[in-house]
Amino acid sequence: MAAADTMFGESLKEFGAFDFNACYNCGTCTAVCSLSDEQNSFPREMVRFSVLGLRDDIHSSVKPWLCYYCGQCSTHCPQDAKPAELMMSLRRYLTSVYDWTGLGRKLYTSKAWEFGSIAILALLILVLFLFLHGPMTTELTDQGGVKLNTFAPWKQVEIGDWIMAGMLSFFLLSNIFNMYLKIVRKNKGLKIPIKLWFTELYNLIVHFATQKQFSKCDTLGTGKKFTFSSYWIIHWFLMSSYVIMFIMIVFFLGWFQTDNIYHWTHPQRLFGYYATAGLLTGVVWFFVARFRKSDEKSKHSHITDWTFLVLLFLTTVTGILVQIFRINGMPYPTYYTYVIHLMVLFPMLMIEVPFSKWSHLAYRPFAIYFDRVVQAAKKIK
Amino acid sequence: MNRKLGVYICHCGGNISDYVDVEKVKAAVEHDEGVFLARTTMFACSDATQKEMVEDINANQLDGIVVASCSPKLHLTTFRAVAERAGLNKYNYVHANIREQVSWAHSDNKTGATEKAIHLVKSAIARVRLAESLDPITIPSRKAVAVIGAGISGMRAAIELADMGCPVTLIEREHFVGGRVAQWDLLFTTDQTGKELVTRLYDDIAKRSNIRLLTGAEVIENTGNIGDFTLKVKVTPRYINERCDEGNLQRAIDACPVEVPDDFNFNITTRKAIYHNFPSEYPQYPVIDIKNCTRCGECEKVCGSIDFSQQEKTVEVKAGSVLMATGFDPYNPSEGEFGYLQFDNVVTLPQFKRIIDMCEEKLTFRGKDIHNIAYIYCVGSRQVEAGASSAGGSATDRYEEASRDISGENRYCSRYCCTSVIHSAIETKKRFRAVNNYHFTRGIRTYGKQELLYNESLKMGDIYLQSYENDPPSVIRENGKTTVRINDIMTAGKEISVNADLIVLVTGMVPRSDNRIASLFKLPKGRDNFFNEIHMKLRPVETVIDGVTICGACQGPKNITESVNSSLSAATKSFSYVSKGELELEPIIARVDAALCTWCGKCMEACPFDAVKKVVDGGKEIAAINNSVCKGCGMCLPVCPVNAIDLVAYSDQEMETMINALAEDIK
Ligand SMILES: Cc1cc2nc3c(=O)[nH]c(=O)nc-3n(C[C@H](O)[C@H](O)[C@H](O)COP(=O)(O)OP(=O)(O)OC[C@H]3O[C@@H](n4cnc5c(N)ncnc54)[C@H](O)[C@@H]3O)c2cc1C
Ligand code: HEM
Ligand code: SF4
Ligand code: SF4
Ligand code: SF4
Ligand code: SF4
Repeated sequence: MAAADTMFGESLKEFGAFDFNACYNCGTCTAVCSLSDEQNSFPREMVRFSVLGLRDDIHSSVKPWLCYYCGQCSTHCPQDAKPAELMMSLRRYLTSVYDWTGLGRKLYTSKAWEFGSIAILALLILVLFLFLHGPMTTELTDQGGVKLNTFAPWKQVEIGDWIMAGMLSFFLLSNIFNMYLKIVRKNKGLKIPIKLWFTELYNLIVHFATQKQFSKCDTLGTGKKFTFSSYWIIHWFLMSSYVIMFIMIVFFLGWFQTDNIYHWTHPQRLFGYYATAGLLTGVVWFFVARFRKSDEKSKHSHITDWTFLVLLFLTTVTGILVQIFRINGMPYPTYYTYVIHLMVLFPMLMIEVPFSKWSHLAYRPFAIYFDRVVQAAKKIK
Repeated sequence: MNRKLGVYICHCGGNISDYVDVEKVKAAVEHDEGVFLARTTMFACSDATQKEMVEDINANQLDGIVVASCSPKLHLTTFRAVAERAGLNKYNYVHANIREQVSWAHSDNKTGATEKAIHLVKSAIARVRLAESLDPITIPSRKAVAVIGAGISGMRAAIELADMGCPVTLIEREHFVGGRVAQWDLLFTTDQTGKELVTRLYDDIAKRSNIRLLTGAEVIENTGNIGDFTLKVKVTPRYINERCDEGNLQRAIDACPVEVPDDFNFNITTRKAIYHNFPSEYPQYPVIDIKNCTRCGECEKVCGSIDFSQQEKTVEVKAGSVLMATGFDPYNPSEGEFGYLQFDNVVTLPQFKRIIDMCEEKLTFRGKDIHNIAYIYCVGSRQVEAGASSAGGSATDRYEEASRDISGENRYCSRYCCTSVIHSAIETKKRFRAVNNYHFTRGIRTYGKQELLYNESLKMGDIYLQSYENDPPSVIRENGKTTVRINDIMTAGKEISVNADLIVLVTGMVPRSDNRIASLFKLPKGRDNFFNEIHMKLRPVETVIDGVTICGACQGPKNITESVNSSLSAATKSFSYVSKGELELEPIIARVDAALCTWCGKCMEACPFDAVKKVVDGGKEIAAINNSVCKGCGMCLPVCPVNAIDLVAYSDQEMETMINALAEDIK
C-alpha cells in the first residue's frame, strides 16, 4: 500500500513541472506516444504517479528515460497537462535522486548553488594557474605560433585531466550504480543470469552511439516507423564532436595540444574542425530553438537547460579563440583565453556530467540496457 | 347503426404489402355489410391519401371509416383529424393495426399474415358499425392553483402563475420558506448564495397580492378532482406576535431550557425550543417549536411578544390544479456505513456544507483542525444489488474497519453531488489554509458547464481516485488515525491510502421520508420512489392524476437550474388546466346502468383512481362514476357481478361483435 502525498507534486515544480495536476487520465498521451509500448506504457502512468506522489514507483521506473521528448503527448493532451514537461522534470528529478551526494538536487533547485559552484570551480582553476603556470614568453615558434606548452606544459595539464576524468568517472559510475539498485534491484526475487548482462550489452553500445530512439519519434505524424529528424542529426553531430574532443583531450593531449602549426589536412586540424563545427552547430541550433520556442521540447526551459548550453558555448568559443591567437602569434591573448577556456570547461564537466543534464549521456543508454536485461530475465521465468 | 363505411388498407411502402396481400384483404372485406367503398393505398398517412379520404367521406356521405395501417400509437390522431376535417365525428373512425401486429410479427408466413389481417379489418368494421358519435366531456375549472412546498421550485412556480394572472396559495410545511437552498451558502455554478436566491424570491412573492403564503401549513385532506380540488390545510401558529421586540426575544431564547438537535444544520448543532430563523429563512420572525416546547413558561417571563393563546387553524383551499414541489431529503447513511456515527470525523455532504459555512478563519470540526479531507462519492446513490459489493466492517485489536456495503435500492445517480462536492472542495481550499482534498469517486459526472469546476479543481491540485464498481473504498481507524484506502482504477488497481482528518460522505437525494402527501393525492411513484411523471420526455411534469403536476426534486434528483426549469413548465401546465375556466375531457369512460346496479361496492374497490362513489338515486343505492376522474381503464367492468357497467365506445356489444368477426370461419 502506498500513501498519497500532495507534497511531492509541489516539490516536482522546482524541477520544472507544471499543470500536470490537470490530468484527468484519458490516456491520449500514452496513445499518441510513439515510444510507449506494452511493456513500458507512458507517460500517463508517470503523470498519475506524480499526482499521487508515489515516490517509490517513480524512483524505480525507467520510463522517464525511454521518453525522447518529442512533445507529441503535450500537443494532444486535452487538458493541457503538459505530460512531456512532466517527463522532462522527472528526468531532472531522477538525476538528483540517483546522485547520492545530494549535490544534484541542490544544483537543480537553487540558483545560488548552481552559479556558486560554477564560480568556485572556475576560481580554483584560476588559482592553480596563478601559482603553477609556466613562463609567459612572448617568443614565438619558428612557424610564428605561440609557445603555449611553455605557459601550460601539456604534461602537467594532462595530470589535471586525469584527476578530473577520475573524479567524473567516480561520481557518474557510482550514480549509475545507484540507478541500478533502484531500477534492477527493486525487482525482488528476480534472478538475473550473469549471461544476460553480456548478451544485452549491445543495447548499451548501440543506443549510446546512435541515439536511434530519436528516429521513432514521429513528430510530424507521418506514420513512418523511422524518420531522420533534424534534431537527431544535429544532436548526433554534437554528440560525436564532443566524444572526439573528449578522447583527444584525455587520451591524446600531447598530440592535440601542440605548438606546431600543421597543414589544414593534418588529422589534428581535421578532427579539431569537425569537433568545433559540431559543437557550434549543435549549441547554436539548440539555442535558437529555445529562444524561438519552436517546438514542444524547446518551449519550456528550466534554468539548468540554459546553463548547460551557455557553458558548452563558452567552452567552444574560447577553444576556437585559443587556436586563432596561437596560430597568429598573439602570446598574451592566447594565455588569457586558455585560462578562461579551462575556467569554463572544468566547471561544465564537473557539474553537468555527474550531477546535471549531461548525465543523460549515461542514464539514457543504461536505462534501456537495464530494462532489456530485466525483461529478458522475466521471460526466462 | 352506421351503414355507409369506407375502408382504407395501407401498403406502408412495402412494410405491410411485402407480407400481407393487401388486394386480397380488400377483396375479402369490400362486400361486408355496410362497406360502401374499400381502397388500398401506398401510404395512408400521406397528404394525398388524407385529402382523398376527406373527399370520399364528403362525396359519398360516409358515416364511418376504418383505417388498417400501422399502430394507432403513431397515427390515431392523424386519422381522427381527417375525420373531423370531413365533418365526421372522430369516434366514428376505428383503427386496425396490420403492421406491428401482422406484417412485422408474421414475416415468416405470408398466407397466415394475410388471413390475420382480413380478420382484424373485419373486426374493426364490425365495431365501427356500432360506433356512436361522442362529444368531449366539459367540466368547469376554478382559476386558482395550490402550490405545495415553498422551496426554490414552489416559490418560482407561484410567482410565474401569479404573473399569468392566476391566484396562488403557496403551502409550506415548515415555518420558513426556501427549502433546501436556504441551507446552502455558496452555490454552484454561479457562486451566489442560497440566501441571495431565497431573499429574491421571497421579496417577489411579498410583492404579489395574488399569492397567499401559508407557513407551518400541512395538507391533511384532499377531495375533488381536476378543475375543482378542495384541500384542508392545518396551519400551526408561531406562538409569537409578528411585531416582536428582538432584544427581549434573544433573552427569551437564552431562557428556554429545552435544547434539541438543529435540523437546519443537519443535527451537528442544537437549538432551543424557541428559535430564530437563519438569515436565509423567511418570514424573518421567530417561532416556538410546539412539539418540543414543554410549556415551562420561562420565555414568557422575559418576553411579552410570546403568545400561547394562538390557535391551530384549519384552512380550506380551493383550486383547479395542484402543483407539487415538496422536494427531497438527503440520504441518511446507516450507522457504520463508511464509518458514519461510528467514527466522530465522518460527516455527510450537507453537514459539511454547514460546517464550512459556520467556520470563520480556521476549518475545524469537533475542536480539531482539518487539513486532509477525503470525500467518498455516491453514498446512497448508484447502489448495487445485495451481495455484489464486498461489505467489510470488521474489527481487530489493531484497527477497526467501517462497513463499505453499497448495496441498496437506489440505483440512480443523484446528479447534483459530484458538482456540489467539487465546488465545496474548491471553496474550502480557497477559504482555509493548508487544505488537501482527496476525492474517492466512482467516475465524475460533472456534466455540461459544471465540467469547468472539475477542471478548476484538478488544476488546484485536488486528487481524484476512482474505485472499481464493486470494490468501494474502506475507512479504517487505527491508533486514533483515520485512513481511507482504495484500489485505484487509474493507478492499475494499486492500493492507495490517505490519512484524513475529516471524511465527507457525498450523500445523494432520496424522496422525503414524510411523504404522506403522496397518498393524499394518490400520486404514482417510480421504482426509485420519487413522484412519477406520465412520460419522461414528452409529458415530464404531468401525472396520471389529472390536474396534479410535479416539479423540482420531489420528482427525482435535480439541481436548482433543473428544478426551476421543471417548475416553470409545471406552472404553465397547471395554468393550462385552469386558464379557460372549463376543461374538455375524453368521453371514453365507464357508464353505470342504474337499473341493473345493486351496489355491491366491488367496482369502487377495483377503481385505481377513486372515480366510483355510492349515490342514492330514486331511493336506491347505486354506483356513480365521476366523469372528470374516470380514465376509462376498464378495471371496474369485469368485477361487476350483474354486468351493470359498460365502457363508452368499448361496450360489451362492441367487443362481442369484434370477437365474432375475429372468430368467423375458424373451426
Ligand atoms: C448538499 C447539497 C448541496 C447543493 N448545492 C447546490 C448548488 O450549489 N447548486 C444547485 O443548483 N443545486 C444544489 N443542490 C440541489 C438543490 O438543493 C435542489 O435542487 C433544490 O433544493 C430543489 O428544490 P425544491 O424546491 O425542488 O426542493 P426543496 O428544496 O427540498 O424544497 C421543498 C420544500 O417543500 C416543503 N415541503 C415538503 N413536504 C411538504 C408538504 N407535505 N407540505 C408542504 N410543504 C412541504 C419543504 O419544507 C421545502 O420547503 C444541492 C443539494 C444538496 C443536497
Ligand atoms: C556526449 C554525449 C552527448 C552530448 C554532448 C549531448 C548533448 C545534448 C544536448 C546539448 C541536449 C539538449 C538540447 C536542448 O537544449 O534542447 C541533448 C538532449 C538530448 N539528448 Fe543528448 N547528448 C549526448 C549524449 C546522448 C545520448 C547517448 C543520448 C541517448 C541515448 C542522448 C539523448 C538525448 C535526448 C533524448 C535529448 C532530448 C531530451 C532531453 O533533453 O533530455 N544524448 N543532448
Ligand atoms: S493526455 Fe493529458 S489528460 Fe490525458 S492522460 Fe495524458 S496527461 Fe492526462
Ligand atoms: S514527449 Fe514524446 S516520447 Fe516523451 S512521452 Fe511524450 S510522446 Fe512519448
Ligand atoms: S452525481 Fe456523482 S456523486 Fe452523485 S451519485 Fe452521481 S456519480 Fe455519484
Ligand atoms: S373505468 Fe377505470 S377509472 Fe373509470 S371507474 Fe372504472 S375502474 Fe375507475
